[in-house]
Amino acid sequence: MPDWLIKILLAIYTKIPPAMRPALKDLFTKGVLRLEALAKRRQIVMGKRVEFLDFEIAHLVPFELLGPGPDEILVEAECSLISHGTERAVLCGLPGARRGFPYVPGYSTAGRVIKKGKAVKGIEIGDLVTGRIKHASHETVRADQVFKVPPGVTPEEASFIELGIIVLQGIRKAAIKPGEHVAVVGQGLIGQLANRLARLLTPTSLIAVAPSRNREQLALLPGGVDRYLSLNEDPACVHAIKADVVIEAVGTPQANVTAMYCAREGGRVVLLGSSRGLTRDWDLWGDAQKKRLTIIGAHISDMPEKDASPLRWTYAQEGRLFLELLQAGRLKVSDLITWRAKPEECNAVYEVLAEGGRNHVGITFNWQPNGVGK
Amino acid sequence: MEPLRIGIVGAGAIAQRNAKEAAASGAAKIAGVFDLNHKVARDMAKALSAPFFPSYEALLADSTIEAVLLSVPHYLHKPMTVEAASCGKHVLVEKPMANTLDEAREMIACCEKNRVQLTVNYSFRYLPKVQKARQLIQEGALGDITGIQIIAHQFKDRGYWSGARSNSPDDWRASKEKCGGGVLIMNVCHVIDYVSFITGLKGTRVYSEYATLGSPAEVEDIISVTARLSNGGIGSISASSIMRGADQAEERIWGTKGTIILDPEGLSLYSTRPIDGKRPGKLFRYAKFPNVSWTAEWVKGFTSAVRHGAKPAISSQEGWDNLAFISAAYQSMEKGVPVEVEPYPGPLQ
Repeated sequence: MPDWLIKILLAIYTKIPPAMRPALKDLFTKGVLRLEALAKRRQIVMGKRVEFLDFEIAHLVPFELLGPGPDEILVEAECSLISHGTERAVLCGLPGARRGFPYVPGYSTAGRVIKKGKAVKGIEIGDLVTGRIKHASHETVRADQVFKVPPGVTPEEASFIELGIIVLQGIRKAAIKPGEHVAVVGQGLIGQLANRLARLLTPTSLIAVAPSRNREQLALLPGGVDRYLSLNEDPACVHAIKADVVIEAVGTPQANVTAMYCAREGGRVVLLGSSRGLTRDWDLWGDAQKKRLTIIGAHISDMPEKDASPLRWTYAQEGRLFLELLQAGRLKVSDLITWRAKPEECNAVYEVLAEGGRNHVGITFNWQPNGVGK
Repeated sequence: MEPLRIGIVGAGAIAQRNAKEAAASGAAKIAGVFDLNHKVARDMAKALSAPFFPSYEALLADSTIEAVLLSVPHYLHKPMTVEAASCGKHVLVEKPMANTLDEAREMIACCEKNRVQLTVNYSFRYLPKVQKARQLIQEGALGDITGIQIIAHQFKDRGYWSGARSNSPDDWRASKEKCGGGVLIMNVCHVIDYVSFITGLKGTRVYSEYATLGSPAEVEDIISVTARLSNGGIGSISASSIMRGADQAEERIWGTKGTIILDPEGLSLYSTRPIDGKRPGKLFRYAKFPNVSWTAEWVKGFTSAVRHGAKPAISSQEGWDNLAFISAAYQSMEKGVPVEVEPYPGPLQ
């Protein structure tokens, strides 16, 4: 839409009484969608999606979307996974995550292809795909931006795709060598996935560090960590860890500092959690410089589109690897799910999340009424 | 259910209304009328096709009368309740229960001793909007309640204080001794009761300031109360009977998940949760409610309790809790300190 038209429409919009604006905005959006559908000769599909209506308010809302274009597919969701940190940050307006409302959360969903564009190759109707898809019953996406799920991988497992990629790229940047001592700070979903992927790299010891013991049982499951340390019980325990590699999987300044305490002199600290917040309580000299730490930024946004190197694979490569690990049974994720929710329960789910998550680790929305996701 | 045979005591405007609604409820039969103003009482008895009694004693002596409905000045609640209970009559008494907690204690003890039921007319609980607000809160619309604000302002002219519009003119409403207090005990007591009913919360500690600034009366015509609630929340009341030309009547109840606003026309709800089929995060208005006689509902409930030997929905405990809160508010101002609300003493016999 040209700028001049946007300016005119905005000028008109600001003259409209606030109470009437949502209805008019809805009408306008629907009108534009219909015009677009006519112009592109595409169908309008009805769906439902989770929306954040305001701070700490989520609701399942009906919506309309365009059917697939030539290189797109229409995906009917089976299972979507909540990314606690990011979604909670937006929901609660935490530092670095301020967004306008309504906001449609979600970026890790598996579903069936129910329509495809004429130019789509390699994906057929009925195929299970997974990728960066919101918490919605239906979504039209570019076919080359999703992964075809290999046989033997369930929709529920496949819905971990984005979180799996996030952790894989971090673990790769950590360059863990067989025999190294590894610690994972934070035992939310990212931390628990980091435990399991780090375990595959045969460290000598793998230690989980978290405030409470609430997630200890999950962390000690087969394929997880060797030991679990609670900061609440012994805040000084971190100094005795002396890990070669520390994976920081929380994203708060306090967890960043804790991760540095856990590292040995000359160790590596991988910042995997999306860092949010500011601190003045960091002794850069004592905690990092004097210890000769190597601090590795490992955010998913730092992934190459192409030209992969041993320590930086592309998004597509990591995604395929994650699905292969699931297919081969080398990685288990379903046991990390602590709440399998219906989309209709999203208000309660996000209420719990806003309050801190009540120790839930993996929370999924199962979009099929018969629970096909499992 | 066999109707309760009720003797009507008092023939003022509220008494007339109570009697008509009680008769229309189907749960009561008006079995007698008494008022010191015999002419008014006779007319009322005739209109209700009920016998007139020339004295309270005569009415109580009638063995066919099972209960009395006392719509009399506040200072008469205690002696007339005690007298009726002593004659084995159940008692429906207008609000407030009494003027003091000592009086209330005596009323409770006497009713218990004589095994008769006592109820106080906090029938606004049966208003559909009040019932709806309670239902919404029970469904979790507000989460944990954090605050309550009651605003009640009106203007009472000189005629009100002298009883000029009453069919038996009397200035008892202006007397601290006879009325017990002003706008708080006379009017806002209803609101305190139904807000407590809606939320399930009570005031536990009270701070108050009050004064008489614009009325020919001994009792307060303006009051401000701050209270700690039983769940740790905070409540406040701002009330007066001297606000000219801009009446206010609004109750706000808010919690961790939403807000309910009650006003004379209905209620508004904002919740972060999808309650009552409503979209969360939006203010909704409930304005259409069925036309219900709250007095009739109160009488029906009491009749049912008497017939089944059960505790009435609005029992002496509800009456006590309300009066204890109001008494604490008055004491707070008089002593210049916060005052703890005296809990219900429990069975006294």
